[in-house]
Amino acid sequence: MSVLCIKDLTKVYGSVVALAGLDLTVEKGQIFGLVGPNGSGKTTLLGIILDVLHPSDGSYTWFDGEEGSHVRRRIGAFLETPNFYPYLNADQNLSLVALFKGVSKPPLDDLLELVQLKERRRSHFKNYSLGMKQRLALAACLVGDPEVLILDEPTNGLDPEGMVEVREIIQKIAAQGKTIIMASHILDEVERICSHVAIIKKGRLLVTGAIGSILSNRPTVEVGACDSERLFQFLSDLSVVKRITRKDNRLLLELEQGTNQEDLNRLAFDDGIVLDHLVLKRQSLEVEFLEITRK
Amino acid sequence: MNPLHLLKIEWSKYATNGAFRFFTCLYVVALVLGVYLARSIGRAASMNYSGVATPLESLFDYPQNWQVLAYIGSWLNSFVLGSLGVFMITMEFSNRTLRQSVIFGMTRLEVGAAKVVWTLTLALAATGCYVLLGLIWEAHDGVGLVLPPAGCTLGYYLQALGYLLLGTLAGMLIRQTAMATLFFLAYVFFLESVIRWIFYLNVGKVRLLLFLPVQLLGGLTPLPVPDSVNHIFYSNPATMPLSTTEATVGALVYMGLFVAFFSQRMSKSDL
Repeated sequence: MSVLCIKDLTKVYGSVVALAGLDLTVEKGQIFGLVGPNGSGKTTLLGIILDVLHPSDGSYTWFDGEEGSHVRRRIGAFLETPNFYPYLNADQNLSLVALFKGVSKPPLDDLLELVQLKERRRSHFKNYSLGMKQRLALAACLVGDPEVLILDEPTNGLDPEGMVEVREIIQKIAAQGKTIIMASHILDEVERICSHVAIIKKGRLLVTGAIGSILSNRPTVEVGACDSERLFQFLSDLSVVKRITRKDNRLLLELEQGTNQEDLNRLAFDDGIVLDHLVLKRQSLEVEFLEITRK
Repeated sequence: MNPLHLLKIEWSKYATNGAFRFFTCLYVVALVLGVYLARSIGRAASMNYSGVATPLESLFDYPQNWQVLAYIGSWLNSFVLGSLGVFMITMEFSNRTLRQSVIFGMTRLEVGAAKVVWTLTLALAATGCYVLLGLIWEAHDGVGLVLPPAGCTLGYYLQALGYLLLGTLAGMLIRQTAMATLFFLAYVFFLESVIRWIFYLNVGKVRLLLFLPVQLLGGLTPLPVPDSVNHIFYSNPATMPLSTTEATVGALVYMGLFVAFFSQRMSKSDL
């Protein structure tokens, strides 16, 4: 069953094209990652499907084309920063969200327990840290037990501990079989959580599919040397190296199947290059992302 | 969603808000004080002319007492309710909660309808204050409890509603609380008069200018001044105060236009 079907979606702000004829389908039960560099149109796309922005062209449908106000209440979402009434506490804000969704008795205790805010439920929203605000936003998304969750940069601005906490909560929710659409530019996060991914850049869809189908099955290593230009030239001439991606002062290499890092080290040493960095990387969405977006 | 549910949503938003509580308390307290002052002045005037009924004293007899009370309330409608209208909408914009309501699952139509229902209810509450205070006044004077004439109550309600909507409009256009409040108060107490006088001086005294929003809303709760007195102050028929019928029809047209504009903005613009 198609949960979301987007066809030829376009959004233009003056001379800026935020979305350029984007097509996308999200199926029930998928944990769908929407990745792209900053300004690629992720939030605009989510804003349109949540009806806070109007598309310039194109269309989208929820739940195989179902219509009516009840459709939106089957979706829990937060977009950009968490926005609540600053003078209300967690209980009051969540009760208000329940009223927005027409939910009569929301399980506030369970929701606040899940996001670990039970202790601070009586504190005003304005006194919350960013991490607590994000967690309250997650709880708000879950009011009414929606079938679909839309999360926009859920770990944005959090410290490492907060990121781990929020990520764990999302994984708990995902384990309940809900469909999740998550925009993020933290590729590691998407790779860990999502089953499917769409990569967009400058409002265009570059690639979409299951994470496994996008990731290459070739071994990837990260190498470095004092003279990185010479290293780059050397590696460019090697037949066992299928792809080279620059990453800071290091090079990410995709090797021919059957080649390992020891072979590579030996070849470099034989050519007079001493590697000062050699790490075998697991198949990484980051590598694919950099490759795809640089094309 | 039914209107009661929408009302519950808006009540949950504002009931514990400090600024909302301040404005509502200010409205009630200032209305009571205004009436107290007006009565004190009336009593002082009759004391100066002991035993002789002065024109000022007669303002406190039925039905003029209701008109005087409405006139006192009209200042608070413009100042307090108008500012409240500005605050309620700009607070939503500054916290981005109007947009968030849609993200959380309300339709744009429901968000707009909730605001309209809430505004209608606030105007009703303000009118309730007016009627209650008038009855207390009558009870205190021992003249027997007589409800206000229907025209007075309707005029008061429409005026309260009109200023709430005018404040909301200013808030929607400017979105920043301080700037929008400043603009609203400047328009109500200063700018519209300036506009009218510019037209008077350059175009001439055109009656149509009395249909500008503030002038029109003021016409809903006129001071109970006899026509003979009006004729002394307003020699030109073009500047004679609006009749309550003219003011009522004009106010209803304005409110219709505002609600249409609000609905259009809510449904068509990006949030």
